Amino acid sequence: MNKSSLQYVLSGIFLVLGFIAVFGLSNYLERNRVSLPEAYQDEDLTLQGKRLKGYVLGAEGLMADWYWMQSLQYLGSKIISSKNENFDLGDLRPLNPRLLYPYLDNSTELDPKLMAAYTFGATMLPAIDTSKAIDLTEKGIANNPDSWNLYHLLGYIHWRNKDYEKAAQAYDAGMKLPGAPSFMRIMAASMRTQGGSRETARVMYKQMLASDPDAQTKTNAEFRLKELDALDDLDAINATLKAFTERQGRCASGWSEILPLLQNVKLPEGRSFLIDSSDSVVDPTGIPYSIDRSTCKAQIGPESTLPPS
Amino acid sequence: MKVRSNSALKTILTIALNTFREAVRDRVLYNLVIFVLLIIACAILLGDLTDGNEARTIVNIGLNAILIFGAFIAIFVGVSLVSKEIEKRTVFAIFAKPVRRSEFVLGKYLGLCLTLLVNVVVMGVGVSLALVYVKGGSLIYSIWGSILLIFLELTILTAVAILFSSFSSPALSALLTFFTFVIGHMSASLRDLAAGLGSKFAVFFFEVIYYLLPNLAHYSFRTEAANGMVPTSPMIGGAVIYAIVYSSILLLVSALIFRRRNFK
Repeated sequence: MNKSSLQYVLSGIFLVLGFIAVFGLSNYLERNRVSLPEAYQDEDLTLQGKRLKGYVLGAEGLMADWYWMQSLQYLGSKIISSKNENFDLGDLRPLNPRLLYPYLDNSTELDPKLMAAYTFGATMLPAIDTSKAIDLTEKGIANNPDSWNLYHLLGYIHWRNKDYEKAAQAYDAGMKLPGAPSFMRIMAASMRTQGGSRETARVMYKQMLASDPDAQTKTNAEFRLKELDALDDLDAINATLKAFTERQGRCASGWSEILPLLQNVKLPEGRSFLIDSSDSVVDPTGIPYSIDRSTCKAQIGPESTLPPS
Repeated sequence: MKVRSNSALKTILTIALNTFREAVRDRVLYNLVIFVLLIIACAILLGDLTDGNEARTIVNIGLNAILIFGAFIAIFVGVSLVSKEIEKRTVFAIFAKPVRRSEFVLGKYLGLCLTLLVNVVVMGVGVSLALVYVKGGSLIYSIWGSILLIFLELTILTAVAILFSSFSSPALSALLTFFTFVIGHMSASLRDLAAGLGSKFAVFFFEVIYYLLPNLAHYSFRTEAANGMVPTSPMIGGAVIYAIVYSSILLLVSALIFRRRNFK
Protein backbone atom coordinates (compact mmCIF):
# COMPACT_ATOMS: atom_id res chain seq x y z
CA MET A 1 0.00 0.00 0.00
CA ASN A 2 1.52 3.30 -1.03
CA LYS A 3 1.53 6.43 1.09
CA SER A 4 -1.42 8.06 -0.66
CA SER A 5 -3.66 4.99 -0.26
CA LEU A 6 -2.67 4.74 3.39
CA GLN A 7 -3.72 8.36 3.89
CA TYR A 8 -7.14 7.64 2.36
CA VAL A 9 -7.64 4.54 4.51
CA LEU A 10 -6.61 6.38 7.68
CA SER A 11 -8.87 9.31 6.79
CA GLY A 12 -11.77 6.90 6.20
CA ILE A 13 -11.18 5.19 9.55
CA PHE A 14 -10.97 8.57 11.26
CA LEU A 15 -14.26 9.68 9.67
CA VAL A 16 -16.08 6.51 10.72
CA LEU A 17 -14.70 6.69 14.26
CA GLY A 18 -15.52 10.37 14.38
CA PHE A 19 -19.16 9.79 13.43
CA ILE A 20 -19.45 6.95 15.95
CA ALA A 21 -18.11 9.32 18.62
CA VAL A 22 -20.56 12.03 17.53
CA PHE A 23 -23.43 9.53 17.72
CA GLY A 24 -22.45 8.48 21.23
CA LEU A 25 -21.85 12.03 22.38
CA SER A 26 -25.21 13.19 21.06
CA ASN A 27 -26.98 10.49 23.03
CA TYR A 28 -24.89 11.27 26.10
CA LEU A 29 -25.77 14.98 25.90
CA GLU A 30 -29.44 14.15 25.36
CA ARG A 31 -29.46 11.94 28.45
CA ASN A 32 -27.74 14.56 30.57
CA ARG A 33 -29.85 17.45 29.41
CA VAL A 34 -31.43 19.40 32.25
CA SER A 35 -35.15 18.91 31.77
CA LEU A 36 -37.32 21.97 31.73
CA PRO A 37 -40.03 22.37 34.33
CA GLU A 38 -43.37 20.99 33.17
CA ALA A 39 -44.99 24.41 33.33
CA TYR A 40 -42.52 25.67 30.70
CA GLN A 41 -43.98 23.41 28.06
CA ASP A 42 -47.39 24.94 28.65
CA GLU A 43 -46.19 28.51 28.61
CA ASP A 44 -48.65 30.75 26.80
CA LEU A 45 -47.91 31.39 23.15
CA THR A 46 -45.76 34.46 22.72
CA LEU A 47 -46.84 35.18 19.18
CA GLN A 48 -50.45 35.64 18.24
CA GLY A 49 -51.68 34.73 14.79
CA LYS A 50 -53.52 37.97 14.14
CA ARG A 51 -50.39 39.98 15.00
CA LEU A 52 -48.25 37.90 12.66
CA LYS A 53 -50.63 38.45 9.77
CA GLY A 54 -49.03 40.68 7.16
CA TYR A 55 -45.51 40.34 8.62
CA VAL A 56 -44.46 36.84 7.53
CA LEU A 57 -43.67 37.63 3.89
CA GLY A 58 -46.92 36.13 2.64
CA ALA A 59 -46.25 32.77 4.32
CA GLU A 60 -49.38 32.95 6.49
CA GLY A 61 -50.57 29.59 5.17
CA LEU A 62 -47.30 27.91 6.12
CA MET A 63 -47.41 29.47 9.60
CA ALA A 64 -51.03 28.33 9.95
CA ASP A 65 -49.99 24.79 9.05
CA TRP A 66 -47.19 24.99 11.59
CA TYR A 67 -49.57 26.03 14.41
CA TRP A 68 -52.04 23.37 13.37
CA MET A 69 -49.36 20.64 13.33
CA GLN A 70 -48.21 21.92 16.72
CA SER A 71 -51.77 21.49 18.02
CA LEU A 72 -51.79 17.86 16.84
CA GLN A 73 -48.39 17.17 18.39
CA TYR A 74 -49.34 19.02 21.57
CA LEU A 75 -52.47 16.98 22.25
CA GLY A 76 -50.77 13.77 21.10
CA SER A 77 -47.84 14.28 23.47
CA LYS A 78 -50.24 15.06 26.33
CA ILE A 79 -52.05 11.77 25.68
CA ILE A 80 -48.82 9.77 25.32
CA SER A 81 -47.26 11.24 28.47
CA SER A 82 -50.46 10.71 30.46
CA LYS A 83 -49.96 8.35 33.39
CA ASN A 84 -53.58 7.20 33.16
CA GLU A 85 -53.85 4.67 30.32
CA ASN A 86 -57.65 4.44 30.55
CA PHE A 87 -58.41 8.14 30.17
CA ASP A 88 -61.74 9.05 28.67
CA LEU A 89 -61.60 10.54 25.18
CA GLY A 90 -64.82 12.33 26.06
CA ASP A 91 -63.18 14.25 28.90
CA LEU A 92 -59.62 15.36 28.31
CA ARG A 93 -59.59 17.95 31.09
CA PRO A 94 -57.39 15.81 33.38
CA LEU A 95 -54.63 16.18 30.75
CA ASN A 96 -54.90 20.00 31.01
CA PRO A 97 -54.32 20.68 27.30
CA ARG A 98 -54.99 24.38 27.73
CA LEU A 99 -52.88 25.46 24.73
CA LEU A 100 -54.94 23.51 22.22
CA TYR A 101 -57.38 26.36 21.66
CA PRO A 102 -54.68 29.08 21.30
CA TYR A 103 -52.84 26.92 18.76
CA LEU A 104 -55.99 26.36 16.70
CA ASP A 105 -57.07 29.98 17.10
CA ASN A 106 -53.68 31.18 15.82
CA SER A 107 -53.80 28.73 12.98
CA THR A 108 -57.23 29.87 11.82
CA GLU A 109 -56.35 33.55 12.26
CA LEU A 110 -53.48 33.07 9.81
CA ASP A 111 -55.50 30.96 7.39
CA PRO A 112 -59.24 31.42 7.97
CA LYS A 113 -59.97 28.67 5.45
CA LEU A 114 -57.96 25.93 7.17
CA MET A 115 -60.83 23.45 7.52
CA ALA A 116 -58.69 20.74 9.09
CA ALA A 117 -58.07 22.99 12.12
CA TYR A 118 -61.79 23.70 12.57
CA THR A 119 -62.63 19.99 12.25
CA PHE A 120 -59.92 18.99 14.70
CA GLY A 121 -61.04 21.69 17.14
CA ALA A 122 -64.72 20.76 16.88
CA THR A 123 -63.87 17.12 17.54
CA MET A 124 -61.40 17.50 20.38
CA LEU A 125 -62.18 20.82 22.10
CA PRO A 126 -65.62 19.73 23.40
CA ALA A 127 -63.75 17.25 25.60
CA ILE A 128 -61.83 20.19 27.12
CA ASP A 129 -63.94 23.34 26.91
CA THR A 130 -67.26 23.35 25.07
CA SER A 131 -67.48 27.15 24.86
CA LYS A 132 -64.08 27.33 23.11
CA ALA A 133 -65.18 24.61 20.70
CA ILE A 134 -68.28 26.66 19.86
CA ASP A 135 -66.20 29.86 19.50
CA LEU A 136 -63.79 28.21 17.06
CA THR A 137 -66.54 26.60 14.98
CA GLU A 138 -68.60 29.80 14.83
CA LYS A 139 -65.45 31.62 13.71
CA GLY A 140 -65.09 28.96 11.00
CA ILE A 141 -68.67 29.55 9.89
CA ALA A 142 -68.11 33.32 9.79
CA ASN A 143 -65.01 32.81 7.62
CA ASN A 144 -66.51 30.04 5.46
CA PRO A 145 -70.24 30.70 5.30
CA ASP A 146 -70.73 28.21 2.46
CA SER A 147 -69.41 25.20 4.36
CA TRP A 148 -72.28 22.98 5.52
CA ASN A 149 -69.78 20.72 7.26
CA LEU A 150 -69.00 23.44 9.80
CA TYR A 151 -72.71 23.66 10.68
CA HIS A 152 -72.66 19.88 11.09
CA LEU A 153 -69.70 20.23 13.48
CA LEU A 154 -71.48 23.01 15.40
CA GLY A 155 -74.55 20.79 15.65
CA TYR A 156 -72.32 17.98 16.92
CA ILE A 157 -70.85 20.19 19.66
CA HIS A 158 -74.30 21.32 20.85
CA TRP A 159 -75.58 17.74 20.68
CA ARG A 160 -72.62 16.57 22.77
CA ASN A 161 -73.48 19.31 25.23
CA LYS A 162 -77.08 17.94 25.28
CA ASP A 163 -78.39 21.26 23.93
CA TYR A 164 -80.59 19.62 21.31
CA GLU A 165 -82.50 22.77 20.32
CA LYS A 166 -79.30 24.64 19.42
CA ALA A 167 -78.02 21.53 17.63
CA ALA A 168 -81.23 21.44 15.60
CA GLN A 169 -80.83 25.15 14.78
CA ALA A 170 -77.29 24.51 13.51
CA TYR A 171 -78.50 21.66 11.29
CA ASP A 172 -81.43 23.81 10.12
CA ALA A 173 -79.02 26.55 9.04
CA GLY A 174 -76.58 24.12 7.42
CA MET A 175 -79.17 22.19 5.41
CA LYS A 176 -80.12 25.34 3.49
CA LEU A 177 -76.62 25.66 2.02
CA PRO A 178 -75.93 24.49 -1.51
CA GLY A 179 -74.50 20.99 -1.59
CA ALA A 180 -75.67 20.08 1.93
CA PRO A 181 -76.49 16.35 2.07
CA SER A 182 -79.93 15.03 3.09
CA PHE A 183 -78.27 13.83 6.29
CA MET A 184 -78.43 17.44 7.57
CA ARG A 185 -82.23 17.50 7.23
CA ILE A 186 -82.53 14.14 9.01
CA MET A 187 -80.29 15.33 11.85
CA ALA A 188 -82.24 18.57 12.27
CA ALA A 189 -85.42 16.52 12.81
CA SER A 190 -83.70 13.87 14.97
CA MET A 191 -82.28 16.50 17.30
CA ARG A 192 -85.76 17.80 18.08
CA THR A 193 -87.51 14.43 18.42
CA GLN A 194 -84.85 12.10 19.86
CA GLY A 195 -81.75 14.21 20.52
CA GLY A 196 -80.35 12.03 23.27
CA SER A 197 -80.99 8.68 21.63
CA ARG A 198 -78.33 6.16 20.83
CA GLU A 199 -79.56 5.94 17.26
CA THR A 200 -78.96 9.66 16.71
CA ALA A 201 -75.46 9.25 18.10
CA ARG A 202 -74.81 6.35 15.76
CA VAL A 203 -75.92 8.34 12.70
CA MET A 204 -73.76 11.28 13.86
CA TYR A 205 -70.57 9.25 14.26
CA LYS A 206 -71.14 7.26 11.08
CA GLN A 207 -71.42 10.52 9.19
CA MET A 208 -68.19 11.80 10.77
CA LEU A 209 -66.42 8.57 9.91
CA ALA A 210 -67.57 8.78 6.31
CA SER A 211 -67.12 12.47 5.56
CA ASP A 212 -64.41 13.99 7.73
CA PRO A 213 -60.98 13.86 6.14
CA ASP A 214 -58.68 13.91 9.14
CA ALA A 215 -57.50 10.76 10.85
CA GLN A 216 -58.05 12.02 14.41
CA THR A 217 -61.75 12.66 13.78
CA LYS A 218 -62.13 9.24 12.19
CA THR A 219 -60.37 7.57 15.14
CA ASN A 220 -62.65 9.39 17.55
CA ALA A 221 -65.77 8.44 15.56
CA GLU A 222 -64.67 4.79 15.35
CA PHE A 223 -64.10 4.71 19.09
CA ARG A 224 -67.52 6.22 19.78
CA LEU A 225 -69.21 3.73 17.44
CA LYS A 226 -67.52 0.88 19.32
CA GLU A 227 -68.77 2.38 22.56
CA LEU A 228 -72.33 2.48 21.18
CA ASP A 229 -72.05 -1.12 19.99
CA ALA A 230 -70.85 -2.12 23.46
CA LEU A 231 -73.85 -0.37 25.04
CA ASP A 232 -76.17 -2.29 22.69
CA ASP A 233 -74.36 -5.53 23.57
CA LEU A 234 -74.71 -4.86 27.29
CA ASP A 235 -78.42 -4.09 26.99
CA ALA A 236 -78.99 -7.38 25.18
CA ILE A 237 -76.79 -9.41 27.56
CA ASN A 238 -78.45 -7.90 30.65
CA ALA A 239 -81.92 -8.61 29.26
CA THR A 240 -80.86 -12.21 28.66
CA LEU A 241 -79.35 -12.48 32.16
CA LYS A 242 -82.58 -11.14 33.64
CA ALA A 243 -84.66 -13.68 31.70
CA PHE A 244 -82.31 -16.49 32.79
CA THR A 245 -82.55 -15.41 36.45
CA GLU A 246 -86.34 -15.29 36.29
CA ARG A 247 -86.47 -18.76 34.76
CA GLN A 248 -83.79 -20.48 36.87
CA GLY A 249 -84.12 -18.52 40.10
CA ARG A 250 -80.38 -17.79 40.10
CA CYS A 251 -77.84 -15.82 38.14
CA ALA A 252 -75.98 -17.53 35.30
CA SER A 253 -72.67 -18.99 36.50
CA GLY A 254 -70.82 -18.05 33.32
CA TRP A 255 -71.00 -17.36 29.61
CA SER A 256 -71.54 -21.03 28.77
CA GLU A 257 -75.01 -20.92 30.34
CA ILE A 258 -76.30 -17.92 28.44
CA LEU A 259 -74.37 -18.25 25.18
CA PRO A 260 -77.08 -20.44 23.53
CA LEU A 261 -79.68 -17.82 24.53
CA LEU A 262 -77.60 -14.93 23.19
CA GLN A 263 -77.38 -16.55 19.79
CA ASN A 264 -81.12 -15.90 19.34
CA VAL A 265 -80.81 -12.21 20.19
CA LYS A 266 -80.89 -9.73 17.35
CA LEU A 267 -78.56 -6.76 17.77
CA PRO A 268 -79.08 -3.39 16.03
CA GLU A 269 -77.57 -2.99 12.56
CA GLY A 270 -77.74 -6.79 12.05
CA ARG A 271 -74.63 -7.34 14.18
CA SER A 272 -73.84 -10.55 16.07
CA PHE A 273 -72.06 -10.94 19.40
CA LEU A 274 -68.29 -11.26 19.21
CA ILE A 275 -67.05 -14.42 20.93
CA ASP A 276 -63.40 -15.20 21.65
CA SER A 277 -61.61 -18.58 21.70
CA SER A 278 -62.54 -19.19 25.35
CA ASP A 279 -66.25 -18.74 24.53
CA SER A 280 -66.51 -15.40 26.30
CA VAL A 281 -68.52 -12.57 24.80
CA VAL A 282 -66.12 -9.74 24.01
CA ASP A 283 -66.61 -6.03 23.42
CA PRO A 284 -65.74 -4.40 20.03
CA THR A 285 -62.15 -3.88 21.23
CA GLY A 286 -61.81 -7.65 21.83
CA ILE A 287 -61.84 -7.58 25.67
CA PRO A 288 -64.38 -9.90 27.39
CA TYR A 289 -67.31 -8.35 29.22
CA SER A 290 -67.42 -9.27 32.89
CA ILE A 291 -70.53 -10.48 34.78
CA ASP A 292 -71.01 -9.02 38.25
CA ARG A 293 -72.61 -11.95 40.10
CA SER A 294 -73.84 -9.72 42.95
CA THR A 295 -76.02 -7.59 40.68
CA CYS A 296 -76.22 -10.22 37.91
CA LYS A 297 -75.33 -7.62 35.30
CA ALA A 298 -72.70 -7.56 32.57
CA GLN A 299 -70.28 -4.67 32.34
CA ILE A 300 -67.27 -3.47 30.37
CA GLY A 301 -64.19 -5.53 31.32
CA PRO A 302 -61.59 -3.78 33.49
CA GLU A 303 -58.92 -4.13 30.79
CA SER A 304 -61.02 -2.57 28.07
CA THR A 305 -60.22 0.89 26.71
CA LEU A 306 -63.95 1.62 26.48
CA PRO A 307 -65.36 3.78 29.29
CA PRO A 308 -67.05 1.80 32.10
CA SER A 309 -70.77 1.31 31.51
CA MET B 1 -33.62 52.79 -37.65
CA LYS B 2 -35.23 49.36 -38.08
CA VAL B 3 -31.82 47.80 -38.65
CA ARG B 4 -30.56 49.33 -35.38
CA SER B 5 -33.55 48.05 -33.36
CA ASN B 6 -33.12 44.54 -34.83
CA SER B 7 -29.47 44.61 -33.99
CA ALA B 8 -30.21 45.85 -30.43
CA LEU B 9 -32.70 43.05 -29.91
CA LYS B 10 -30.17 40.52 -31.16
CA THR B 11 -27.53 41.93 -28.82
CA ILE B 12 -29.88 41.81 -25.84
CA LEU B 13 -30.88 38.21 -26.61
CA THR B 14 -27.25 37.16 -27.03
CA ILE B 15 -26.31 38.68 -23.67
CA ALA B 16 -29.40 37.09 -22.06
CA LEU B 17 -28.55 33.62 -23.39
CA ASN B 18 -24.94 33.99 -22.29
CA THR B 19 -26.09 35.04 -18.83
CA PHE B 20 -28.30 31.95 -18.64
CA ARG B 21 -25.42 29.69 -19.80
CA GLU B 22 -23.15 31.31 -17.24
CA ALA B 23 -25.68 30.68 -14.46
CA VAL B 24 -25.88 27.03 -15.49
CA ARG B 25 -22.07 26.83 -15.57
CA ASP B 26 -21.94 28.42 -12.12
CA ARG B 27 -24.18 25.57 -10.86
CA VAL B 28 -26.98 27.94 -9.90
CA LEU B 29 -29.47 25.23 -10.84
CA TYR B 30 -27.99 22.89 -8.24
CA ASN B 31 -30.49 24.39 -5.79
CA LEU B 32 -33.07 22.25 -7.60
CA VAL B 33 -31.49 19.14 -6.09
CA ILE B 34 -31.98 20.53 -2.56
CA PHE B 35 -35.52 21.54 -3.44
CA VAL B 36 -36.37 18.09 -4.81
CA LEU B 37 -34.97 16.44 -1.66
CA LEU B 38 -37.04 18.81 0.49
CA ILE B 39 -40.23 18.02 -1.39
CA ILE B 40 -39.60 14.26 -1.36
CA ALA B 41 -39.00 14.42 2.40
CA CYS B 42 -42.23 16.41 2.85
CA ALA B 43 -44.26 14.00 0.73
CA ILE B 44 -43.03 11.01 2.73
CA LEU B 45 -42.96 12.45 6.23
CA LEU B 46 -45.88 14.86 6.42
CA GLY B 47 -48.64 12.23 6.42
CA ASP B 48 -48.37 11.53 10.14
CA LEU B 49 -47.59 15.09 11.18
CA THR B 50 -50.61 16.54 9.44
CA ASP B 51 -53.14 13.86 10.33
CA GLY B 52 -53.63 12.92 6.69
CA ASN B 53 -53.93 16.49 5.36
CA GLU B 54 -50.44 16.65 3.87
CA ALA B 55 -51.43 18.01 0.44
CA ARG B 56 -52.07 21.59 1.58
CA THR B 57 -48.89 21.57 3.69
CA ILE B 58 -46.87 20.36 0.70
CA VAL B 59 -48.30 23.27 -1.28
CA ASN B 60 -47.44 25.73 1.48
CA ILE B 61 -43.91 24.41 1.96
CA GLY B 62 -43.34 23.97 -1.77
CA LEU B 63 -44.53 27.43 -2.83
CA ASN B 64 -42.69 29.19 0.00
CA ALA B 65 -39.54 27.24 -0.85
CA ILE B 66 -39.88 28.26 -4.52
CA LEU B 67 -40.04 31.89 -3.42
CA ILE B 68 -37.15 31.65 -0.96
CA PHE B 69 -34.87 29.73 -3.36
CA GLY B 70 -35.79 32.10 -6.17
CA ALA B 71 -35.26 35.17 -3.99
CA PHE B 72 -31.79 33.96 -3.02
CA ILE B 73 -30.88 33.44 -6.68
CA ALA B 74 -32.35 36.80 -7.69
CA ILE B 75 -30.48 38.59 -4.91
CA PHE B 76 -27.08 36.89 -4.96
CA VAL B 77 -26.80 36.27 -8.69
CA GLY B 78 -28.52 39.57 -9.49
CA VAL B 79 -26.06 41.72 -7.54
CA SER B 80 -23.06 39.97 -9.08
CA LEU B 81 -24.26 40.12 -12.70
CA VAL B 82 -22.66 43.46 -13.42
CA SER B 83 -19.98 43.59 -10.75
CA LYS B 84 -18.46 40.27 -11.88
CA GLU B 85 -18.00 41.56 -15.41
CA ILE B 86 -16.29 44.66 -14.05
CA GLU B 87 -14.12 42.70 -11.64
CA LYS B 88 -13.01 40.24 -14.34
CA ARG B 89 -12.48 43.10 -16.80
CA THR B 90 -14.64 41.29 -19.36
CA VAL B 91 -16.77 44.40 -19.48
CA PHE B 92 -14.08 46.11 -21.60
CA ALA B 93 -14.24 43.33 -24.19
CA ILE B 94 -18.02 43.63 -24.33
CA PHE B 95 -18.08 47.40 -24.73
CA ALA B 96 -15.35 47.25 -27.35
CA LYS B 97 -18.10 45.80 -29.54
CA PRO B 98 -21.15 47.81 -30.66
CA VAL B 99 -23.05 47.12 -27.43
CA ARG B 100 -24.84 49.87 -25.55
CA ARG B 101 -24.71 49.88 -21.79
CA SER B 102 -28.51 49.83 -21.59
CA GLU B 103 -28.55 46.74 -23.84
CA PHE B 104 -26.01 45.11 -21.56
CA VAL B 105 -28.14 45.78 -18.44
CA LEU B 106 -31.33 44.59 -20.12
CA GLY B 107 -29.66 41.47 -21.52
CA LYS B 108 -28.25 40.57 -18.11
CA TYR B 109 -31.67 41.11 -16.53
CA LEU B 110 -33.48 38.94 -19.07
CA GLY B 111 -30.83 36.20 -18.76
CA LEU B 112 -31.37 35.96 -15.03
CA CYS B 113 -35.14 36.05 -15.51
CA LEU B 114 -34.77 33.06 -17.86
CA THR B 115 -32.73 31.24 -15.21
CA LEU B 116 -35.42 31.98 -12.64
CA LEU B 117 -38.14 30.85 -15.03
CA VAL B 118 -36.45 27.47 -15.53
CA ASN B 119 -36.03 27.23 -11.76
CA VAL B 120 -39.62 27.95 -10.82
CA VAL B 121 -41.02 25.73 -13.56
CA VAL B 122 -38.89 22.74 -12.50
CA MET B 123 -39.74 23.36 -8.85
CA GLY B 124 -43.43 23.70 -9.73
CA VAL B 125 -43.28 20.34 -11.51
CA GLY B 126 -41.63 18.92 -8.37
CA VAL B 127 -44.49 20.18 -6.17
CA SER B 128 -47.05 18.84 -8.66
CA LEU B 129 -45.46 15.38 -8.60
CA ALA B 130 -45.38 15.43 -4.80
CA LEU B 131 -49.10 16.27 -4.83
CA VAL B 132 -49.79 13.34 -7.15
CA TYR B 133 -47.84 11.10 -4.74
CA VAL B 134 -49.98 12.17 -1.75
CA LYS B 135 -53.20 11.99 -3.81
CA GLY B 136 -53.67 15.76 -3.68
CA GLY B 137 -53.93 16.13 -7.44
CA SER B 138 -56.87 18.55 -7.15
CA LEU B 139 -54.47 21.24 -5.91
CA ILE B 140 -52.13 21.01 -8.91
CA TYR B 141 -54.23 23.39 -10.99
CA SER B 142 -54.34 26.00 -8.23
CA ILE B 143 -50.57 26.12 -7.57
CA TRP B 144 -49.60 27.27 -11.06
CA GLY B 145 -51.33 30.63 -10.73
CA SER B 146 -49.37 31.22 -7.56
CA ILE B 147 -46.13 30.06 -9.23
CA LEU B 148 -46.66 32.59 -12.02
CA LEU B 149 -47.05 35.33 -9.40
CA ILE B 150 -43.89 34.15 -7.63
CA PHE B 151 -41.99 34.37 -10.91
CA LEU B 152 -43.26 37.90 -11.50
CA GLU B 153 -42.19 38.86 -7.98
CA LEU B 154 -38.72 37.46 -8.67
CA THR B 155 -38.42 39.50 -11.87
CA ILE B 156 -39.04 42.66 -9.82
CA LEU B 157 -36.53 41.53 -7.21
CA THR B 158 -33.94 40.92 -9.93
CA ALA B 159 -34.46 44.46 -11.21
CA VAL B 160 -34.01 45.77 -7.66
CA ALA B 161 -30.77 43.78 -7.29
CA ILE B 162 -29.44 45.15 -10.60
CA LEU B 163 -30.35 48.70 -9.60
CA PHE B 164 -28.47 48.50 -6.30
CA SER B 165 -25.50 46.76 -7.91
CA SER B 166 -25.23 49.54 -10.49
CA PHE B 167 -23.93 51.95 -7.86
CA SER B 168 -22.98 49.88 -4.82
CA SER B 169 -20.77 46.99 -3.75
CA PRO B 170 -22.17 43.42 -4.12
CA ALA B 171 -22.44 42.85 -0.35
CA LEU B 172 -24.28 46.10 0.30
CA SER B 173 -26.47 45.55 -2.76
CA ALA B 174 -27.47 42.11 -1.52
CA LEU B 175 -28.36 43.54 1.87
CA LEU B 176 -30.38 46.40 0.39
CA THR B 177 -32.20 44.06 -1.98
CA PHE B 178 -33.03 41.73 0.88
CA PHE B 179 -34.44 44.64 2.89
CA THR B 180 -36.51 45.68 -0.11
CA PHE B 181 -37.82 42.11 -0.37
CA VAL B 182 -38.85 42.10 3.31
CA ILE B 183 -40.32 45.61 3.40
CA GLY B 184 -41.97 45.06 0.01
CA HIS B 185 -43.99 42.26 1.59
CA MET B 186 -44.86 44.26 4.67
CA SER B 187 -45.51 47.71 3.22
CA ALA B 188 -49.30 47.35 3.24
CA SER B 189 -49.32 46.08 6.83
CA LEU B 190 -46.91 48.81 7.93
CA ARG B 191 -49.12 51.44 6.32
CA ASP B 192 -52.14 50.06 8.20
CA LEU B 193 -50.11 49.99 11.41
CA ALA B 194 -49.03 53.61 10.91
CA ALA B 195 -52.65 54.64 10.35
CA GLY B 196 -53.45 53.21 13.77
CA LEU B 197 -50.61 55.07 15.47
CA GLY B 198 -52.13 58.48 14.83
CA SER B 199 -48.79 60.12 13.95
CA LYS B 200 -49.03 62.20 10.76
CA PHE B 201 -45.34 61.75 10.04
CA ALA B 202 -45.60 57.96 10.40
CA VAL B 203 -48.63 57.89 8.10
CA PHE B 204 -46.80 60.00 5.50
CA PHE B 205 -43.57 58.01 5.80
CA PHE B 206 -45.22 54.62 5.36
CA GLU B 207 -47.46 55.98 2.61
CA VAL B 208 -44.30 56.97 0.69
CA ILE B 209 -42.72 53.56 1.40
CA TYR B 210 -45.91 51.87 0.24
CA TYR B 211 -45.85 53.49 -3.18
CA LEU B 212 -42.11 53.89 -3.65
CA LEU B 213 -40.99 50.36 -2.87
CA PRO B 214 -42.35 47.42 -4.86
CA ASN B 215 -45.53 46.12 -3.26
CA LEU B 216 -44.69 42.45 -3.25
CA ALA B 217 -47.79 41.56 -1.21
CA HIS B 218 -49.64 41.72 -4.56
CA TYR B 219 -47.77 38.55 -5.51
CA SER B 220 -48.52 36.55 -2.36
CA PHE B 221 -51.10 33.96 -3.28
CA ARG B 222 -49.54 30.95 -1.57
CA THR B 223 -52.01 30.59 1.30
CA GLU B 224 -54.91 30.90 -1.11
CA ALA B 225 -53.39 28.30 -3.46
CA ALA B 226 -53.11 25.85 -0.56
CA ASN B 227 -56.88 26.25 -0.16
CA GLY B 228 -57.48 25.42 -3.82
CA MET B 229 -58.06 29.01 -4.95
CA VAL B 230 -56.91 30.37 -8.31
CA PRO B 231 -55.97 34.01 -9.02
CA THR B 232 -58.49 35.79 -11.24
CA SER B 233 -57.58 37.09 -14.71
CA PRO B 234 -57.71 40.78 -13.60
CA MET B 235 -55.38 39.92 -10.73
CA ILE B 236 -52.88 38.16 -13.00
CA GLY B 237 -53.17 40.87 -15.64
CA GLY B 238 -52.62 43.63 -13.08
CA ALA B 239 -49.68 41.76 -11.57
CA VAL B 240 -48.04 41.30 -14.98
CA ILE B 241 -48.43 44.99 -15.86
CA TYR B 242 -47.21 46.10 -12.42
CA ALA B 243 -44.12 43.86 -12.75
CA ILE B 244 -43.35 45.15 -16.25
CA VAL B 245 -43.83 48.82 -15.28
CA TYR B 246 -41.91 48.61 -12.02
CA SER B 247 -39.05 46.56 -13.50
CA SER B 248 -38.84 48.97 -16.47
CA ILE B 249 -38.50 51.93 -14.10
CA LEU B 250 -35.75 50.21 -12.14
CA LEU B 251 -33.92 49.05 -15.26
CA LEU B 252 -34.11 52.52 -16.76
CA VAL B 253 -32.57 54.05 -13.63
CA SER B 254 -29.95 51.26 -13.58
CA ALA B 255 -29.06 51.92 -17.22
CA LEU B 256 -28.76 55.67 -16.57
CA ILE B 257 -26.46 55.10 -13.59
CA PHE B 258 -24.51 52.46 -15.48
CA ARG B 259 -24.04 54.81 -18.44
CA ARG B 260 -22.24 57.32 -16.26
CA ARG B 261 -20.18 54.72 -14.47
CA ASN B 262 -16.42 54.77 -14.86
CA PHE B 263 -14.90 51.27 -14.92
CA LYS B 264 -11.34 52.34 -14.31
